[in-house]
Amino acid sequence: MSVIDLKLLQETKSLERCPFPIPAGWFFVDYSKNLAPGEVRNVFLLDQEWVLFRGEGEDGKPGLSDPFCPHLGAHLGHGGTVVGDNIRCTFHHWQFNPEGWCKDVPYAKIMPPVCKKQPILRTLPVIEKWGMIWCWYHPQAEAPQWELPSIPELESDDYIEPRTGHWEVNTAVQEVAENGVDFAHLKFLHGEPEIPPATTEFKGHEIFTDMKNGYIKGHQCGPGLAIFRFDHEGVIATMVSYSVPYTREQTKMNMSFTHFKYPEGTKEAMVAQHLVNHMVGEADGEESAGFESVDFIVWNNKKYRPNPLLCDGDGPILQYRKWFKQFYPGSEDNPNL
Amino acid sequence: MAQIHVIQRDGSKRTIDAPEGEPLMEALRDENTGVEGTCGGTCSCGTCHVYVATNWQEKTGGRSDEEDMMLEALEEYVELRPGSRLACRIEVSNALDGLEVEIAPPVE
Repeated sequence: MSVIDLKLLQETKSLERCPFPIPAGWFFVDYSKNLAPGEVRNVFLLDQEWVLFRGEGEDGKPGLSDPFCPHLGAHLGHGGTVVGDNIRCTFHHWQFNPEGWCKDVPYAKIMPPVCKKQPILRTLPVIEKWGMIWCWYHPQAEAPQWELPSIPELESDDYIEPRTGHWEVNTAVQEVAENGVDFAHLKFLHGEPEIPPATTEFKGHEIFTDMKNGYIKGHQCGPGLAIFRFDHEGVIATMVSYSVPYTREQTKMNMSFTHFKYPEGTKEAMVAQHLVNHMVGEADGEESAGFESVDFIVWNNKKYRPNPLLCDGDGPILQYRKWFKQFYPGSEDNPNL
Repeated sequence: MAQIHVIQRDGSKRTIDAPEGEPLMEALRDENTGVEGTCGGTCSCGTCHVYVATNWQEKTGGRSDEEDMMLEALEEYVELRPGSRLACRIEVSNALDGLEVEIAPPVE
C-alpha cells in the first residue's frame, strides 16, 4: 500500500536526473569494419575507458579490456600492441588474450600460478554479429545470461544495406527506452492522431509490444537492443536500435534501418522507402513527428521520478521499471530506481 | 619476537628474531637470508621457498591451495620436500619460537 506523498511530488530539488547504475547486458561497441586487424584503440563507454583491439590477420578476434595492466598498471592502450590475438603491454611485454588470460611473461622463469587458474585482466565477453562488435557488461563481471537474438533483416542479402543514424542524448538508457512503453506521449509529444492501442508482454529479459494492432511490433532485448517492425499493408520496414550508455547520464543512440529488397519501381519498394524515411525523420508531409525532433527536449531536461503520479491511459511504465531493475544486480534495494 | 633458526643456502646457521603477527617471509627477507619475497606474499613468485624441519611441520600448519599451486610450479626447478612451504604463508607466533627452517635453492 502506498499513498501519494505531496511533499515528494512538489519537492523536486532532491530528485536526480539519472540515479541509475550502468545496467547489465549486451551493448554495441562499434562496427566491425571500423576495427582493423592488429589495431589498438581507446574507447569510452559504460562509464569508463576500455582498450579495444583486434588480433592480427584476416580472422583476428576483437577484445575489449580494462586499460590498466594487472602487472604494474601501465595503460595497455598507450603503447600496447597486438601479437597474434593478444594485447601486449608496452611496459614489460606481458601478453593477454581477448578473454583476459595472461599468455606470456617473457622474462619470468615461472609464470605466476594464478595466470594458469583464471583470467587476470578484466575483459568483457565480445562477439561479432551483424557486422558489429558487441560486448557483455555485468557490474559483478558475471558471464552472459542470455544470447543476442536473430535479426533476419541484418543476416540476409535479401534486405537493403541498412541506413544508420547516431544521436547523443543527455540521459540514461533506461529513460530513453521507457518511451517505448509510454504510449500516451505518442499522441501529445509526437502528434499521433490518437493514443495508439497497444499491448505489452514482459518476458524475462525481453519486452514484446504491439501497437495499432500489428502496425508497429517492438522487441526489446535487454537494455541495449530493440527491434521495431513497421507493417504498412504487408510492406515491412525494420528499425534496429542499439543504445549504449556512454556515462551514467549520457547515452549514444544508434539505429539501423532496412527493408526487404522489393523490386525497383514497385509500389512495395516505394512504401518501404517511405517508411524508412519516416523513421529517420526525412519524410515530407508527415502527420506525426519522429523521435529526433521532439523527444530530446524531454530527455535532456527531465528528472526521474521513482514514484510518479500516473493516470489511466498511461502505458505500463511501472511494469517496465520493474522489468528494467533486473539489469541492476546489486542495486535491488535502491529506492531511487 | 620469536627466535628462528635458519640454515642458509651455503649451509651456515643463523638465529634471527622474527616479529610476531607478521609473515615469516618478511623477517627472512629483511635479515638477508636469501629469501626475496618479490611478490609480497601472493604466492606468485616462489622466492620464499623454505624447508620446515620435520618436528615443526605440525605447528606451521597446512598449505593453502595457492601455495600448493606455486610449489607445484617450482617442482620443475627445485627439490620439493614434505616440509616445503612458502614463508609468506607462515605467520610468526609465540608457538613458533625456536622454529627451524632451511632456505630452499633459488630457481635458476
